[in-house]
Amino acid sequence: MNSNDMIAALDQRVQRRDERRRFFKLAGGAALIAGGTTLLSACGSDDNDVATPTPTPTPTPAVVTDADILNFALNLEYLEAQFYSFAALGVGLDASLTSGIGGTGTVTGGRKVTFTDPVVAAYAQEIAQDEINHVRFLRSAIGTATVGQPAIDIGTSPSGAFSSAARAAGLITGTGSMFDPYASDENFLLGAYIFEDVGVSAYKGAAALIKNKTFTEAAAGILAAEAYHAGLIRTVLYRKGIAAPTLIDATEAISNARDSLDGASDLDQGIRAVNGASNIVPTDSNGLAYSRTAGQVLNIVYLNKTAVSAGGFFPVGVNGTIRTSTANS
Amino acid sequence: MTDDSLMMDALDARVTRRNDRREFFKAMTGGAKLVGGLGLGAASVGAQAQTTALTDADILNFALNLEYLEAQFYSYAAFGTGLASSLLTGTGQQGAVTGGRQVTFKDSVVQQYAREIANDEIAHVTFLRQALGAAAVSQPAIDIGTDPAGAFSSAARAAGLIGAGQSFDPYASDENFLLGAYIFEDVGVTAYKGASPLITNATFLEAAAGILAVEAYHAAIVRTVLYAKGIETPSLIDATEAISNARDSLDGSSDLDQGVRMIGAASNIVPLDANGIAYSRSAGQVLNIVYLNKAAVGSGGFYPAGVNGTIKTSAAN
Repeated sequence: MNSNDMIAALDQRVQRRDERRRFFKLAGGAALIAGGTTLLSACGSDDNDVATPTPTPTPTPAVVTDADILNFALNLEYLEAQFYSFAALGVGLDASLTSGIGGTGTVTGGRKVTFTDPVVAAYAQEIAQDEINHVRFLRSAIGTATVGQPAIDIGTSPSGAFSSAARAAGLITGTGSMFDPYASDENFLLGAYIFEDVGVSAYKGAAALIKNKTFTEAAAGILAAEAYHAGLIRTVLYRKGIAAPTLIDATEAISNARDSLDGASDLDQGIRAVNGASNIVPTDSNGLAYSRTAGQVLNIVYLNKTAVSAGGFFPVGVNGTIRTSTANS
Repeated sequence: MTDDSLMMDALDARVTRRNDRREFFKAMTGGAKLVGGLGLGAASVGAQAQTTALTDADILNFALNLEYLEAQFYSYAAFGTGLASSLLTGTGQQGAVTGGRQVTFKDSVVQQYAREIANDEIAHVTFLRQALGAAAVSQPAIDIGTDPAGAFSSAARAAGLIGAGQSFDPYASDENFLLGAYIFEDVGVTAYKGASPLITNATFLEAAAGILAVEAYHAAIVRTVLYAKGIETPSLIDATEAISNARDSLDGSSDLDQGVRMIGAASNIVPLDANGIAYSRSAGQVLNIVYLNKAAVGSGGFYPAGVNGTIKTSAAN
C-alpha cells in the first residue's frame, strides 16, 4: 500500500496546488491588499465556477436574506441535534424546539447507543448538548421567521439515509444491507463523521453571505463549534484506527462518496496520514478549510448529485427558501 | 473531585453560560431580532477596534503575527527547524526567535499531530503573506524558549504549574508539548472569531473563516488528546483548567475560556457559551494573553519587542 499512499499524497498535492491557484485567481490575481486600500470586489465562493466568479453561490433564490441563510443552517442543526440527542440521551428534541414555518415533520429512527468506551459516551453527550443549543439559539435569533423541523430520516432501514450513504461509500454492500450508527461506538463515530465536516464547509461557505455583522460573528462561533466537533470525531477515529485500520479506510470512503455528490472539485478528505503527518484537519494548500455552497450541502444531505428538493436525510426536503441541491454532472 | 464540587462546577458553568447568552442578546440591541430577514439592526459588535479605522490589512497583519508565533513553535517542536527566512520579511522591525527545539515524542500519534499542525500553520503564514503582498509585516521577535524568565515559564508560573525560578519546557515531553500547544490554540480561535465581523472584503472574510475553522480543528485535537491522556493522568486536566484561568485573569472580567474538565456526564472539549457558540476576543484581549499582561502595553511575553503592524497595544483590564 506504500505506493498507493504515495500516489494519493501526490494527487493531493497537485489538487492543493490547483486550489491555491484558484484562490488567487478568484482574489483577482495581482490585486492583493496593499496598505489596506485596494479592497477587492467580492468574489463568490463557488469552487466549481472558476472562469466567471459569481456573487451568488446558492442556486436559489435570487436574493438570499440573512433569515434565509440562518434558516438553512437551522435545518442542518435540526438533523445534527436529533441524531446526537437520540444517540447520547435516547430522546429527540423537545417539541417546543421543532415548531415553525412549514410545520413540523417526524423523525424516523434514532435510538440511544450503548457505548463501550465511556469517553466516547462523554463526547456524545457534549456534542448533543451543543447541537441542541445551536437549534435553540438559531430559533431565538431568527424569531418569527423560524422554520419548523422538516421530516428527518436518521433510521437504519436498508432504504434509509444512513444505509444509503454507507452503501454509496462501500461500507456495506447489497440492496438489503443496512448501516446502524447506534450499534457500536465505531458506528456512532462514523455516523457522526458523515455530518461533521459538512457542517463546517456549510458555515464557511455562508460566512461571507451574511450581511448583519452580529450574525456574522455568531455564525463564525457556530462554525468554530462545528470544527471543534469535527476535530474531536476525527481525532478519536484516527486514534482508534491505529488498531482498527478499517476505520481509516471508512473515513476515506465516506469522504469520496461525499465528493462524488457535490461536484467536480475535491472538497473533502479522510483522515489517512500523509507523509508522516496525520490528517485530522481537511484543508486546501493554503491551510484553509473548504467551503460548500448551500446547493452542494444539499447534494450531500439529499444524497443526490442532481438538482432535487428532497431525499436522503430530509425525505420531504428542508424547510425555507433555500431547498434545491446543485445540478452536478 | 467530590460529586458536590463537580456539581458546583457544573452550576457555575451554567450561570456563566446564561450570563453570556444575556450579553449576546443585549449586544443584539434587545428586541431587534430577525423578522423575515428584514429587521437587521445596526447591532454593536463584540470585538472592539483599537484604532478608529481598521483596514483589512491591519487585521490580517495582526493575524499574521499570531501565525508567526504558532508556526515557529510547532515547526521547531515537530521538525527541529523554524520558518524559512523567506517567510519572515516585511514591514516593521524583523526579529529573531529565542528558543525552540524538536520534541522527542514517545507517542507516535502525537508526533503525527504535531507535524500536521506545523504544516498547517506554515501554510497560514505563507497564505497571509501572499494575500497581504507588499503590506505584509515581518516576523517580530518571538520568545518560545524555556528560560525561567521567558514567556512559556512565565505563563506556566501564572497558572501555578511551576514555582518561582523554575522553567517550563514545552519540548521536554509529549505532555508538555500538548500543554504548550494548549496555551495558544483556543486563543487563535477566539481571535479569528472576534475579527470576523471587522473584515470588509468578502473573499478575505471567507478565507479568515477557513483559518478560524482550522484553528478550531487544531484546538480540538489538542484538547481531545489532553482529555484522553487526562483519564490516567488527572494532573493534565487540572493543568488545562489552571491555564484557562490564567488566561481569563489577563483578558478582562468576562469568562472567555474553559479547561477540559467534564461538566456532569459530558466532556468539555469545546469551549462554548450557553448558545453553543465559541467565544470572541478583541485584538486587545488577545494581546493581553500573548503579552502576558492585563494592562495596556505594547510588548511582552511571547513578543518581547511587541507585534508588528498597527494593532499592537493590549487592552487595559
